[in-house]
Parts: sequence; C-alpha cells; structure tokens
Amino acid sequence: MGCMNSKSFKHTPGYEEPSVLASETSFSVNEVEALYELFKKLSHSIFKDGLIHKEELQLALFRNSNRKNLFADRIFDLFDLKRNGVIEFGEFVRSLNIFHPDTPKLEKINFAFRLYDLRNTGFIEREELKEMVLALLNESDISLSDDMVESIVYKTFEQADSNGDGKIDLEEWKEFASQNPALLKNMTLPYLKDITMAFPSFVMKSEIEEDDL
Amino acid sequence: MVTVKARKVGKYEVGRTIGEGTFAKVKFAQNTETGESVAMKVLDRATIIKHRMVDQIKREISIMKLVGHPHVVRLHEVLASRTKIYIILEFITGGELFDKIMRHGRLSENDSRKYFQQLIDGVDFCHHKGVYHRDLKPENLLLDSQGNLKISDFGLSALPEPGVSILKTTCGTPNYVAPEVISHKGYNGALADIWSCGVILYVLMAGYLPFDEVDLTTLYDKIGRAEYSFPNWFSNGAKSLIRRILDPNPDTRIRMEDIKTDEWFLKNYIPASEVENEDVNLDEVFSVFDDPEEGVERPRNDEEGPLNLNAFDLIMLAQGLDLSSLFNRRQDFSKHPARFVSRKPAKVILSSMEIVAQSMGFKTHIRNFKMRVEGLTANRTIHLSIMLEIFEVAPTFFMVEMERAAGDVSEYLKFNKSFCSKLDEIIWKQPMDKIRSRSSRFSKRF
Repeated sequence: MGCMNSKSFKHTPGYEEPSVLASETSFSVNEVEALYELFKKLSHSIFKDGLIHKEELQLALFRNSNRKNLFADRIFDLFDLKRNGVIEFGEFVRSLNIFHPDTPKLEKINFAFRLYDLRNTGFIEREELKEMVLALLNESDISLSDDMVESIVYKTFEQADSNGDGKIDLEEWKEFASQNPALLKNMTLPYLKDITMAFPSFVMKSEIEEDDL
Repeated sequence: MVTVKARKVGKYEVGRTIGEGTFAKVKFAQNTETGESVAMKVLDRATIIKHRMVDQIKREISIMKLVGHPHVVRLHEVLASRTKIYIILEFITGGELFDKIMRHGRLSENDSRKYFQQLIDGVDFCHHKGVYHRDLKPENLLLDSQGNLKISDFGLSALPEPGVSILKTTCGTPNYVAPEVISHKGYNGALADIWSCGVILYVLMAGYLPFDEVDLTTLYDKIGRAEYSFPNWFSNGAKSLIRRILDPNPDTRIRMEDIKTDEWFLKNYIPASEVENEDVNLDEVFSVFDDPEEGVERPRNDEEGPLNLNAFDLIMLAQGLDLSSLFNRRQDFSKHPARFVSRKPAKVILSSMEIVAQSMGFKTHIRNFKMRVEGLTANRTIHLSIMLEIFEVAPTFFMVEMERAAGDVSEYLKFNKSFCSKLDEIIWKQPMDKIRSRSSRFSKRF
C-alpha cells in the first residue's frame, strides 16, 4: 500500500526511472523501487532534501551523524560519482549494484581497489595501507606500536606487491584478491538479491516511519 | 623485497588456509587452466594411515563423488603426492551457517524454514543413495554466495554394507545426536539424521540448543527423554513439526516423506533440481591411496595455528565498510565485535579464555581457534551466547574478536567487561606515553 502512495509524491532531485536503472544493473524494476524507498529514508534522515549527504551516510552506518570515519568517507566519495558532494538516487543504485551477488567478481575487485587507493594515484601505497590499518585499530580501541603496524603493512606488501616496487598496482591487486577471496567479502551484500523478497516488510515500514517524523 | 612464489599442486595454485580440522587443513586454490576457485582439503598420508582412516577417507570421497545435489558440496577430484592427499572441492564462499547464527543470532521463521527445506532436500537425496551423514550440525552446513545451503563434511559418513541397515559406530556431536545413537543400540542412519535436522531447525529458530548441559550424563538424559521447551516465538506449525521429529522413539519418529508433506514445511517450498554425476569411477579414486609414488610437487608444511590476518583483512573489519547496516536501521550495534590483542601464544590465549569462561559458570565449545561461550548469566535467568575467534596479525601478535550471538545486550556487556578484566594478564596494552608518541607521529605524517 505504502508503495503505491509513494508514487504520487514528488520524486527526489536526481531521480531516475527504475526501468532505466534496472536495465543497467542486476536489479529488477521492483527491486529498484524498493531501493528507492530505502534511499528516501536515508536521504530524509537529516536534511530531508532527497539527496544523501555525508552526515546521513554516517548516521546510517554508525547511528551517529558526527562520526568522521576514513572508510565512510571513502564509500561516500566512490558513491558520489558526479563528485558534487551528495549521493543521488541513480548514483546510489549504480554503486550498490557493485555489491549485488550477481555482479562479476572483477567489478568488485576494481571497486575495492579504488576504495583503498585513498589518494586516487592508481596505486595502493604503503602510507595509504598504513593509514587504513591505523584507522581500523583506532576504531577498535587497539593501540599498536609503530613498529608493529609497519610490520603488518610490510608483511602484506610482501604478499601483494609481487613486482616489489613498493606499491600495489591494479594487476597485483587482482592477483592478491583472487588468492584471498575473503578480502572481497564486504563487497557482496546477499540481501541485494531479491531485495523485495528479503525485506517484504521493508517498504511498508519506511512509510510508517516517515509519518512518524 | 622478497617475492613470494605461489605454491602449486598439479594444476592448482594454492592460496591461504581457510579452515582447519583435526585431520585436515582446507586451503583456497585456483585451477590455473580454468581460473576456477576451489577448496583444497589437504590430508597428511601418514596421519591417515596411522589413525587407520584410509577406509573412512575413501568412503568420504566415494560418497561425495556419488552425490551430485545443489545442496551438497561437490567433489571435483583427488590428487596425491608422496606424503599428502589433496581433495579438490567446490569452493563455497558464504561461510558457515553456524557463523551466521553466531553473528546475527536466531533467524526468522521464514529463513529458518528455507534452510531447513534445503537441508531436508540434500539429506533426503543422500538417503536415497544409501548414504547417511551422521554428523549433521550447523558447522557442517555452508552457505554459497547466493545464501543457499550446502551440506559438507561427509567425513564420518558410512556407506552401509549390502544387507546391513543398522549402523553401529557412535559418532557425531553430542548436542545434535539422536537418543538411540547415544544408547549404543545400533541405529537406523536415516532416522538419526532426521533427529539432527530437527535439532538444527530448533537452533536456527531459537538461536540456542534445545539440549544443552555442561554435564554429559544430564545432557544424554535430557536427549533420551526429549526434554526441552519451546521459546514463545515458535509458531504452532513449527512446534508441531519439531515435536514429531524430536521423538525419542525412532520407531514412531516422523519419516522423511511425512516431513516433506508437512504443512509448515511446504510453505514456499521449492524442491531443488537434482544433478547426477555421470560415469563415476571409484576405482580411480581409490588408486590415489594405493600408489604413494605418484609425483605432485609438495607444498610447504604450515605450522598449525590460527588464521592469519593481513592488513587488508584488518581493514575489512571496519564498521564503515559494512554496508549491510544501511538495510537495517534497527541493527543492533552492540553486536559489533569487541576486540583485544595479546602477545601470548595463541594456545595460551585460548586456554586462558576457556578457563575464565568456565570459572564464570559458562560452557565452552572449542573448534580450532574459535570458541563459543554459552550459558546462563549470574542471576540464572538470561541465556547468553558469545563467539570468540583468535587471529594472527603478526608472528607474536594475536587479535581476539568477540561477538554476541544471542542474549541480552546489557548482560553481554557485563559479561564482556568481567571476562576481559579476568583476562588482564594476557591482554596487551600499549604504555600511555608510547600511544601519545604514535599518535603525534601519525598526525605529522598524514
């Protein structure tokens, strides 16, 4: 019921037809419509302008809109395909498509590479890897000596940097990721397959919550 | 810079260890001809011969070669070197169903039913082939990338000799085994498997075991009398089916065909389409064991130990990279794991955690470097279940991850605090001044 009603509302800016998005992605039209409900919920959590702002992503990921986080920043930057500081609906669906179980592994590998290439240099560098390890340790309230962190990074480079030039290029990353499939675990969200089946109550719920606001 | 040369076994390039059992290690591998990912079970020939397991392994292999079913892990081929045997299996990416329950707690009735239907499909198919699993439990149930169930580990199965339908070996995990298996009466493998499926269904829906006692005698007693109770969220349909499965008398216990026509079972049921393996030649499989001179390059012998985490594995633990939280606003953030680090040897960490948990009145189940802690809280009212795993981050450096699997959040936090304070001796803390110098260096550099 909620689903039908929502169609009479004005669409969010940057709205794209579900049929178009479905044709470009692994999602069905119904699933894109379900994602639209999720998108509306996320994009109305703070600014209510139908665009996902960074604070709104942080709120969804951490339940805290002020929580600055390196990884959330990276996700946001990669989802913001147009680089205009907000995530529009089309960007949201196309980016989530990477996480679809049916999306080829190579696309997931490429996305992970861009995620970890913090400064967009085309390489994952030691400093970048170290920065991410430190961010994770910090988030987990674990403090390690600098030597220890260096040794973790060193060891990983020994395995991944097969030409030994001190940085991981895309080819090396592809090789390393295919040897270590666990590294792509976060790149697949099983719920995205048949999202309407997985969350039958989801569409209804989102409407009720909006009324509550 | 040292370049690590990839190890190869035949046409397979061997990657990291993905699992370890008592007699086998499972490695990730890639078929260099097709690029296909596989799981490689590595067995030590000497150990197998020493433990007189050749027949058992042969059985495992022949069963898996015989059984081609969407809900049963497939066996591709068997290789051997002078000292090792390599069983090449279908690579399943979704992890264990066990871990899913540990991580997310109990499943919804619909999800539970879906897995139960897939389990019954796979088990029933095996039964029709004359094969009984005899060690069905969530740890032996894997999930593929699509979230479908795959039954693994036929290590304890036995192909019945023609004319003998009563099996006589006691095996299996106590919490999941049928009463008649415990009482050494000799039993019908099909009916014993049905019992285990019932316990699994209960665990999926409840998030904890129907029969669970520290003391084995009490446990066996309760299983023998099928003494358990249902949580209030079980529907009548589910309760009625579970009651008919967990019947201590195998003669009156529900049969497979009756499960498959049960009203609760049939809801949204899509039978799996069966795939037969054509032209399986078991003689070929067996010859692998008989010819020790067949040459395949021998891989490096790893030290037994916890799973290694590289820098990227660590990064993956970041909450910010877990987009599943977008899909569930009411997600329980306290489920997010607590972690601590230690510089003690992994075995010391494991046994310390075991002792501390037991001293707090909890039961522990250990598998490799994973430990499940279960029991009632201090006031004896709330059931708590926690999953712990040790990972190696650097050679002398281990990380322990702790997650709440089931139970009240505040009780979990209380447990967590008390547990960690008792482990103070093994938990490694960085002296304060060093932390400061690290963070100042950190800010300077970035």
